[in-house]
Amino acid sequence: MIRHNFEYRAPREIEEALQILAGAGDDCAVLGGGTWLIPNMTFAAHQPGIVLDPKHLGFASISECGGEVVVGARATYVDAMRSPIAVAHLPLLVSMARGITGGISITGQGTIGGSACYGNPSSDVPACLVAMRARLRLRSIGGTRDLGASDYFLGKFATARRSDEMLVGIVFPKMTSDVRWGYYKLKFSTGSWPIVTAAAMVVNDCVRVALGAATAVPILTEMVLPADGGGEPLAELAKSCASISADEELVDELAGPGYRRRVAHSIVLRALEQCRGRE
Amino acid sequence: MTEHFQITLNGKLVETDIDSRALLIEVVRDCGAKGAHIGCLTGDCGACSLEVDGRLAKSCLVLAVSAAGREVVTIEGSRDAIARELQSAFVACNGFQCGYCTSGMIMVAIALLRANPSPTEAEIRNAISGNLCRCTGYEDIVRAIASAADALRGRTFERNT
Ligand SMILES: Cc1cc2nc3c(=O)[nH]c(=O)nc-3n(C[C@@H](O)[C@@H](O)[C@H](O)COP(=O)(O)OP(=O)(O)OC[C@H]3O[C@@H](n4cnc5c(N)ncnc54)[C@H](O)[C@@H]3O)c2cc1C
Ligand code: FES
Ligand code: FES
Repeated sequence: MIRHNFEYRAPREIEEALQILAGAGDDCAVLGGGTWLIPNMTFAAHQPGIVLDPKHLGFASISECGGEVVVGARATYVDAMRSPIAVAHLPLLVSMARGITGGISITGQGTIGGSACYGNPSSDVPACLVAMRARLRLRSIGGTRDLGASDYFLGKFATARRSDEMLVGIVFPKMTSDVRWGYYKLKFSTGSWPIVTAAAMVVNDCVRVALGAATAVPILTEMVLPADGGGEPLAELAKSCASISADEELVDELAGPGYRRRVAHSIVLRALEQCRGRE
Repeated sequence: MTEHFQITLNGKLVETDIDSRALLIEVVRDCGAKGAHIGCLTGDCGACSLEVDGRLAKSCLVLAVSAAGREVVTIEGSRDAIARELQSAFVACNGFQCGYCTSGMIMVAIALLRANPSPTEAEIRNAISGNLCRCTGYEDIVRAIASAADALRGRTFERNT
């Protein structure tokens, strides 16, 4: 039983939901799959006065819109894995979803949007959104705005979503057939949290790499691929995508000072090698 | 706050008043389906696994009020051929010791075998990767699921020939 008292609201209309958010602000938590929110409430780490359940509002589908794909905020990892649109146009996101741990119940319950809203640096979603140039679609009574992922993640558990805004979807440019991509993460066991993640996309000779879980927000690097794209030059490139100062490095019980800095470049290199393998 | 609440639990309509702070696992157990267990309440152990509208869920991560109107199936309500075969295979292969994790393991295995009647060992291990067992070391659980899959396939083969 959750200890604190709260009000549960499941509005039928988006306008009503946005009014609730506008009135309650920080005191209102939007419920995604609940895989973070509910245990946080059970263990009293988060005690919102209102829980807003958007279950009647939709936002769970994955659809195409011209050159873009809109992933509804309530779409789960399994929804992405099963969506022919995501499989065809967002293979990097699907590969990330396949690597989420916790079994089929977590991948079927947890949402990509919920992870983006939580802003936990030790998670898979942030670096993927940054590498894929995703935009977070935020809606409030004042209107809708799209925010690029690089501007959205602000720090540990901190995002640019205002407390009166609901995430309604994530918009991705389609990955065209000439995009080579890689996603690699280091974790200590099958079920463990990501220690470092790397999402890479290569188009022609332009590389875009987002290094995740090593610092509070993903580090994005854009570069031109060396003419000889293999071996040493690739390793050098990986190093330059993974240079982290001691101050900004994430340190926790899973990886002490210096660990993430030491391993980050190898993880980036593996993601880049996957890109090369897809030539 | 008290909420009037209705679900279909193992095929029977249940109507009751619940505290809006209750988790689905707590309400389901209070309604008599004690086969679903509470282990961690963090989503890690899988002892609370059950089906909501045909989808496997860890019910400690679900607010009961948010599941109102849904169809919930626990181990008690899992009586089809797959469930029965798995239950006998867990007994035959020593797939449990204390039994705390067993109902969750079987719920996951049911979902696996429905979607994939011929899982590889890696697929079985992946399917149960969100369920923890303190006793068995997992080997006998993997063996039990594989042997249930074999037996079920054998039966389908017999029927088709
Ligand atoms: C056993 C287990 C294994 C896991 N493994 C992994 C893993 O391998 N990799 C990984 O990255 N993560 C993992 N996770 C974390 C996993 O819970 C998240 O990745 C998941 O995607 C969170 O989504 P959710 O829908 O459950 O979010 P919720 O818990 O519902 O919400 C998270 C936060 O976002 C807010 N929120 C949700 N939706 C909205 C919205 N539409 N608008 C505004 N705010 C919103 C909530 O209020 C809350 O603050 C694991 C969790 C468990 C329990
Ligand atoms: S009690 Fe639900 S996963 Fe452990
Ligand atoms: S048999 Fe004891 S926890 Fe699995």
